[in-house]
Amino acid sequence: MKKLGFLLGAGLIALAASATTGAQAQTMSYQQAGAMLAKSCGPDIMKYCANANLGGGKILGCLDANASKVSAKCKADFATAKASIAKRTMAQQAIFKVCNADAARLCQGVVPGDGNLITCLVDASKAVSKACNQTITDAGWR
Amino acid sequence: MTSLMLRGGLVAALALTLSAPLAAPASAQTDLSNAQIVQGLQNLAADAPVVTAASLRQAALDHATMYSGPASQRPPLAIQLDKLAQINVQIQFKLNSAIILPESYATIGSIADALHNPVLQGYKFIITGNTDTTGTREINLKLSQERADAVLEALTTTFNINPARLEAVGLGEEALQDTKNPESPVNRRVQIFNVGPLKR
Repeated sequence: MKKLGFLLGAGLIALAASATTGAQAQTMSYQQAGAMLAKSCGPDIMKYCANANLGGGKILGCLDANASKVSAKCKADFATAKASIAKRTMAQQAIFKVCNADAARLCQGVVPGDGNLITCLVDASKAVSKACNQTITDAGWR
Repeated sequence: MTSLMLRGGLVAALALTLSAPLAAPASAQTDLSNAQIVQGLQNLAADAPVVTAASLRQAALDHATMYSGPASQRPPLAIQLDKLAQINVQIQFKLNSAIILPESYATIGSIADALHNPVLQGYKFIITGNTDTTGTREINLKLSQERADAVLEALTTTFNINPARLEAVGLGEEALQDTKNPESPVNRRVQIFNVGPLKR
């Protein structure tokens, strides 16, 4: 329970930091994050970073190196996309800890693997704890 | 496990060229694409051949040395890739380079969404790069490896896919999609194959 409380706390802090209005309850999909980067930073990338690739932090490094020229919108949206990707990945990795008690209570007899436990937890969302439900939402698995 | 309609061997030729310029946050169409990717990559057939990155790389090399005739007369790669659960995606690269163009960032993200899906999380995948027959076979082999590597790097770093789940192989022009039109752009593609469970 201690661990669960800690994770929930960390999640709430992340949520509070990322959304001033509290409107951003959901993380973006990775597809949406990629589209956001392309839309807001595409022109700057083509202009200043034509030889940098998406992986390995090279695009970010190049945009940082050209910070004085890169548009404010690109800087802001890059940070938003990066934070959302990190939050979603963290939720996916935390899910079995956060939802362990719920799975034991609600998903007895479900064979783990192939997404079976997540399907069970999503189906049982009305009985699932708030922390587990939030983590499933943040993970993009609803 | 819910969908048994789509079995291994399915080739979902997805034109995932998601137009960035006008697109507001894409919703329905993208969700469908993601579902299609997941479906295309699940349900490994019982008779699926065992494919490793090393065997695939070797098969491409052997193919290039053994068959020197015109592309339309070369037999397909000996490894029966069509038996594996797979998807084809179009990713736009800079000309003669492994730099992924921003217009394809969303497509890479869609692949990441699918690979992060709980249904696919326990599986390993091989990413292959393919070219058409313009340019020399040797250069095509090298360029396609670099492009497959670039896709792998973007997935494992920017989009946090576990590197233990992915390998990249350049097939050059050795595994044409359209053998009758070897210079057709449909041959320039990235494929993703499900090669079985992560832990055996």
